[in-house]
Amino acid sequence: MPFDLHFIARLIPALIEGAEVTVELAILTFAICLVWGLIVALANSTRGPLSWFAGAYVQIVRNTPLLIQMYIVYFGFSMAGFGLSGFASGLLALCIQNGGYVAEIYRGGLQAVSTRQYEAGRALGMRRWTLYTVVIIPQVVARIVPPMTNQAISITKDTSQVAAIAVMDMMKVAQVWVESSANTYDVFLGVAIIYLVLTSVASVAGKLFERRLAFAQ
Amino acid sequence: MLEVADVSKRFGTLEVLRGVSLSVAPGEVVVVIGPSGSGKTTLLRCINLLEDYERGTVTVDGDPIGYRLDRRAGQRVRMSEREIAAARENVGMVFQSFNLFPHMNALQNVMAAPVRVKGIPRARAEARARELLTMVGLSDKVAEYPVRLSGGQQQRVAIARALAMDPKIMLFDEVTSALDPELVGEVLAAMQQLARAGMTMVVVTHEMSFARDIADRIVFMDDGLVVEQGKPDQLLFSPATDRVRAFLKRYNDRYRI
Ligand SMILES: Nc1ncnc2c1ncn2[C@@H]1O[C@H](COP(=O)(O)OP(=O)(O)OP(=O)(O)O)[C@@H](O)[C@H]1O
Ligand SMILES: [Mg+2]
Repeated sequence: MPFDLHFIARLIPALIEGAEVTVELAILTFAICLVWGLIVALANSTRGPLSWFAGAYVQIVRNTPLLIQMYIVYFGFSMAGFGLSGFASGLLALCIQNGGYVAEIYRGGLQAVSTRQYEAGRALGMRRWTLYTVVIIPQVVARIVPPMTNQAISITKDTSQVAAIAVMDMMKVAQVWVESSANTYDVFLGVAIIYLVLTSVASVAGKLFERRLAFAQ
Repeated sequence: MLEVADVSKRFGTLEVLRGVSLSVAPGEVVVVIGPSGSGKTTLLRCINLLEDYERGTVTVDGDPIGYRLDRRAGQRVRMSEREIAAARENVGMVFQSFNLFPHMNALQNVMAAPVRVKGIPRARAEARARELLTMVGLSDKVAEYPVRLSGGQQQRVAIARALAMDPKIMLFDEVTSALDPELVGEVLAAMQQLARAGMTMVVVTHEMSFARDIADRIVFMDDGLVVEQGKPDQLLFSPATDRVRAFLKRYNDRYRI
């Protein structure tokens, strides 16, 4: 029977415990991807074999399902003899895929700054470091905040796939509860609401950041 | 003040500058005219090394900018990035497309390079920036971001920004071509004022009457070469070469009402 208050009262603490794992995974993934994606984007912008590897990496990870990447990491490592925990495998797979997306966001942001901006800075006597810190990077940051916010939201939802490799995130907790009770509807509605709260936090944070950086209105 | 010696530049197989020499005296205003594609923009860009070039050298006040002659090897060597950046401080450049920094307001645009390149204390740089913005008639727009400024206002901020580095010479590349006709005047007036104040200037323009007013000397370029140069009235009204005559005729035909 849906909307069983006694059931919900027991459910919520369990879901929140799972949500802690979800949040942990999401934050770690996003933080690591901000760095890793930048490295990939910079590698991609060089000339030569490095950019070839970076380009291939981005294509491969974007064009295969996250779930498959997760299985490959999880079972791959355990076959190789040094099994990673489900959490570590999940985190690694999330970073591998989202690193590709984040790299593309950086690339788009860098390309959106016209060469005229570089020339204006150089004509004023700026050297590389000054040019980038004063002129280029602030513009790139302002441009990439909205797509990065989307990515953070997408990562938050993507973490639910670690349930497939037995990590006790919110999704896995929900599945366990569904199996042991007939109250499927309450469980998944509760899960949906908590995801919505989490992604809303990311969304609002992104908007605030965006507003702080807005200069072009 | 400015010595351009035998500069040659090609884009692939296209020879855009074919041995251009030009010297500009301190306080002199030289206007460069010529047909589209003759290499005027490329010449200005070579002067402060926004383009590399294959042959020739440029010096400002005796100091090389871009390439230095190595006497022993008898060869040109490219200066280091640090030296080139330092040399560029002496050359102010104003672009056709303004190129203000969109994330900074007018004041910040003007202050950025003095503070971050020259290390001038903020308070002093700000006072100077306000002074320059007042000089170009924008004292009420200091806090405005570029998108909120008209083209003419943006271009005047760009002029103030270049002046803030205290350059020895200013380069202007068709700085009014992207402007609505009614905004051209305010930018030209700012340049006039600068010329009267004794700034050394190289000005590329298609505005012939302005060229005549402001120039000490007009240089006519065609096909990557300086074809003719002289006093404004002489070059504009009794040119020595057919190419200048043909250019002026085309120009007059186009703008006669
Ligand atoms: N980056 C580039 N790559 C290839 N060719 C170029 C490049 N920049 C300029 N050119 C070519 O060099 C020639 C000279 O160009 P430049 O812009 O210097 O002419 P200009 O005299 O300034 O013309 P305009 O009056 O139209 O501004 C032109 O034929 C142009 O197509
Ligand atoms: Mg031009």
